[in-house]
Amino acid sequence: MSVTTRRRFAAVALASVAVLAVTTACGDDGDEGSSGNEQIKLTVDIFGEQGFGYDELIKKYEADHPNIKIEQRGKGMGLGDYNTRLTQWMASGAGAGDIVALEEGTIVQFKAQKQNFVNLGDYGAASLESNFLPWKWNDGKAGDQILGLGTDVGSMAICYRKDLFEKAGLPTDRAAVAQQWPTWDAFIETGKKFQAKSGKVKFVDAATNTYNSILMQTAGNGTGYTYYDKSDKFVLSSNPDVKTAWDLTVKAIEAKLSAGLQTFSDPWATGFKQDQFAIVTCPAWMTGVIKGNAGDAAAAKWDIAKAPGNGGNWGGSFLSVPKQSKHPKEAAELAKFLTTPEAQLEAFKALGNLPSSPKALEDPTLLASKNDYFSNAPTGEIFGAGAKDFKPVYLGPKNQAVRDAVENALRSIEQGQRTPAQAWEDALKAGEAASK
Amino acid sequence: MTPNTADRTRRGRPAHSHAQPPPPRKARGTFGTRLDMKTSPYLYVAPFFVIFLIFQLYPLVYTFWVSLHNQPLGGEGEFVGADNFTALMKDEQFWNSVYNTLGIFVVSTVPQLLIGLYLANALNRKLRGRGFFRMTMAVPIITSTAAVAIIFGQIYNRDFGIANWVLGWFGVENIDWRATKWASWIAISTMVDWRWTGYNTLIYLASMQSIPKDLYESAALDGASARRQFWQITVPMLRPTIIFTVIISTIGGLQLFAEPLMFSSGSGNYTGGTLRQYQTVTMYLFENMFTRFNLGYAATVAWALFLLIVIVAFINYLLTRRIGSAK
Amino acid sequence: MARKPKAEGAASRLWKASPLTFVTLIAAAIVSFFPFYWMVVIASRTNDAIGSVPPPLTPGGNLFDNIGRVLDNENAAFVTGLTNSLIISTVVTVAVVFFSSLAGFAFAKLRFRGQNAMLLIILATMMVPVQLGLIPLYQMMVKFGWQNQLQAVIVPSLVSAWGVFMMRQYVSQTVPDELIEASRVDGASTWRIYWSIVMPALRPAAAVLGLFIFMQTWNDFLWPLTVLQDPANPTVQISLRSLNQAYYTDYSQVFAGTALATVPLAIVFILFGRQIISGIMEGAVKA
Repeated sequence: MSVTTRRRFAAVALASVAVLAVTTACGDDGDEGSSGNEQIKLTVDIFGEQGFGYDELIKKYEADHPNIKIEQRGKGMGLGDYNTRLTQWMASGAGAGDIVALEEGTIVQFKAQKQNFVNLGDYGAASLESNFLPWKWNDGKAGDQILGLGTDVGSMAICYRKDLFEKAGLPTDRAAVAQQWPTWDAFIETGKKFQAKSGKVKFVDAATNTYNSILMQTAGNGTGYTYYDKSDKFVLSSNPDVKTAWDLTVKAIEAKLSAGLQTFSDPWATGFKQDQFAIVTCPAWMTGVIKGNAGDAAAAKWDIAKAPGNGGNWGGSFLSVPKQSKHPKEAAELAKFLTTPEAQLEAFKALGNLPSSPKALEDPTLLASKNDYFSNAPTGEIFGAGAKDFKPVYLGPKNQAVRDAVENALRSIEQGQRTPAQAWEDALKAGEAASK
Repeated sequence: MTPNTADRTRRGRPAHSHAQPPPPRKARGTFGTRLDMKTSPYLYVAPFFVIFLIFQLYPLVYTFWVSLHNQPLGGEGEFVGADNFTALMKDEQFWNSVYNTLGIFVVSTVPQLLIGLYLANALNRKLRGRGFFRMTMAVPIITSTAAVAIIFGQIYNRDFGIANWVLGWFGVENIDWRATKWASWIAISTMVDWRWTGYNTLIYLASMQSIPKDLYESAALDGASARRQFWQITVPMLRPTIIFTVIISTIGGLQLFAEPLMFSSGSGNYTGGTLRQYQTVTMYLFENMFTRFNLGYAATVAWALFLLIVIVAFINYLLTRRIGSAK
Repeated sequence: MARKPKAEGAASRLWKASPLTFVTLIAAAIVSFFPFYWMVVIASRTNDAIGSVPPPLTPGGNLFDNIGRVLDNENAAFVTGLTNSLIISTVVTVAVVFFSSLAGFAFAKLRFRGQNAMLLIILATMMVPVQLGLIPLYQMMVKFGWQNQLQAVIVPSLVSAWGVFMMRQYVSQTVPDELIEASRVDGASTWRIYWSIVMPALRPAAAVLGLFIFMQTWNDFLWPLTVLQDPANPTVQISLRSLNQAYYTDYSQVFAGTALATVPLAIVFILFGRQIISGIMEGAVKA
């Protein structure tokens, strides 16, 4: 970005000279770090409605390190837009912040280009392992490289409509509800009971949500991986855990338990208001989604119970330092600071992001926290337990693309376009294509 | 308009698009005039080409270079020659996207241009509230794409949508608009047409206004009906504009992306439906880039799409050239 | 100009619209307006309205409340977004209309070596999907040091192959060769011919092009999102996107923002639209 290049270019683009004169006045030169100087500016890229709850932590860090200025970017940006930007920054080798947040689905993809990220192990992160849940620590690693440090986790529970359960003659108390479904088989049986009396209301919103929850749990207890084995060999057709989760889900579809909505679509959002389903598999962050979609009218109707089986996870993020950063050392220090158990607890207090640190998950304030929208369910306790019970599952580089293929196949059964056998063939074929 | 308009139009029928420009007069003028004649054309197209070369052509050439590589996103590429292209020829998902793109293109573009022509002709008449009606044609253009997507998403909601509600009066069962090829193609086409018909109407209208009125006057004297005038004067005179809209619609239609993408709001939407019912070529390009991280293959899809557009645009050009001249 | 009374009678009969046409136009107007109207309905209600069955059809009382929330939303930086988009769209529109008419005139009415090849290149450019150019273009911006600056959005859009093609078609249809030749004989320079003959004749088409380019630039999303990384310095579309929550959408706020972002478009449309609406027709029908 030298001055000469710019000048030469301006000379070439004769016609645009006037325009340049007008517009160079608007906007500044971004983050051209003046490396070597004592004053350092670090940029932290995050996403989500409110960001990651780092405002106070950053103030504190700046106070303790007077030579460092920190800028947060991306508050209010959705994950999809954020990932598009991030992908382009990483592909073109410029533009990314000194620290970038990687969501669990995103970090898997970026493990394939770990050479573009700093190994945080080079900056003393290796000793921090005990700060994190074991599976979270593992997910942040690409081979021996420590690619990302865990921030929050999603955990897993079941959000359900008490009023609809009552109408269908099921218990409504959260402990009693959880007792209905010690296993996923029992969950489906409960669904059948529900369906027998509920009429048009379906048990679950989408079969894909059920499928993903079952798969992650089954794989955690079984092979420890899903579509790729730990040497990144594509094993969709041979992994028994995938087939188990698939078959259970097909059973649920055939029992007509699913409303067949595509998650996060507009019809799905409408489904909350129209009482189209009684259950959503919910990680901690989903509580906000449900509240937003269902609105105040449904306030006291929702509650949260433990999920079938033992634990689960959906979502949560990591902090990484791209090689592009001009201040990898300072960035790594900041990333370490932002992911300490104490910092995670601060973020929880600020925004309710569930910590990935076992120590923070034991904290009394966290355990005592309740969610009033969900009939005062003890969310800290329920989600904390779900996260701790979860067993690590290895995800391969193109996990998301393969998962889309399998989910599409499941939805084609829901739509009545395919028989389960045909859909399984589709899944194998499309998954194979996606894995390349 | 300037006073010379009427004058100008009396001089004769406007030239057709393929007509050659007038031969330059023998340079009788001064050196200045000769210089003007020689250099002006280049000066006039220069701004376009300078910016075009730097910001548009270079990225395209680069794209072609990438398509010759096995290039993961953010990694080093390995030169593979035409391998990506041969793989593409055998790629069922690619051909499915080509089929969808052409299908949606035909279903949406033919009615769009015909309705546009009809509406423009109607708006070119004496009419109470003509200004108002012309204004309304542009309303879809100024409505944001996001709003359109949300609104049409609601209209085509499987359980509560207006479309199914209306069809219900005729005893039609609720249609899952995203589940089958035909239903999704029709839904997407209405979305496209809602947005672009008014735009074509305005383009036709702007051109119709330049057709000399004497032509209609003398035709009227000969007793030609309005319909006859439309087909024998308006349409032939509009030929350059019709060719323009057909080629633009071809290009836009074959690059169709935003509408089908937003039609399946939610997760995993680059695939365009569970069975790729409405995945267009551009969506497939994005799937390869942002879901599969295969930059080289995505670039190959882009170039294949380019060739496809060239072929279809050329066929359409040959077809539309016959308008008027055949009659 | 001399008038022929008989012809006037016959022509004006033909120029009247039939009742059927009128009904069709009313239907088209309703179809065009409804989604627009519905946007205002949702913008003036609470977020619960969007999922209601049957959908609400009358505006509610929350419009100003929702607009207030849009303007107060720190993540969105809505006012900056509006200002930036106004600057970008205005500069791009003026440049595209000017450069396109200039080049379109050259291609339609002047003769020069390489003309056909150049026109072919322009046509070919339009056919290449732009999305894949994003990464090389972005790398170029990094080299120029233009990240976060408005010219990164403006300069690549200053010309439009589409605009050149449209103007070329329109000029070749509208401006007779004889008129240009006559002016040449009278000693007019090429520039004078462009300025006093071609430009005036182009006004309706230039209005359509300008209108369209303005809309397109205003609604552009992917490229500004890539290159304008500072959330405090967005375009209006990025601001609108930031109104979305991370995982669910507050439609009343989004639509209030969308409605607000449509106001400049409506103004621009009225300005440009006059050319189309009251353009040549007024004189022509009377003639």
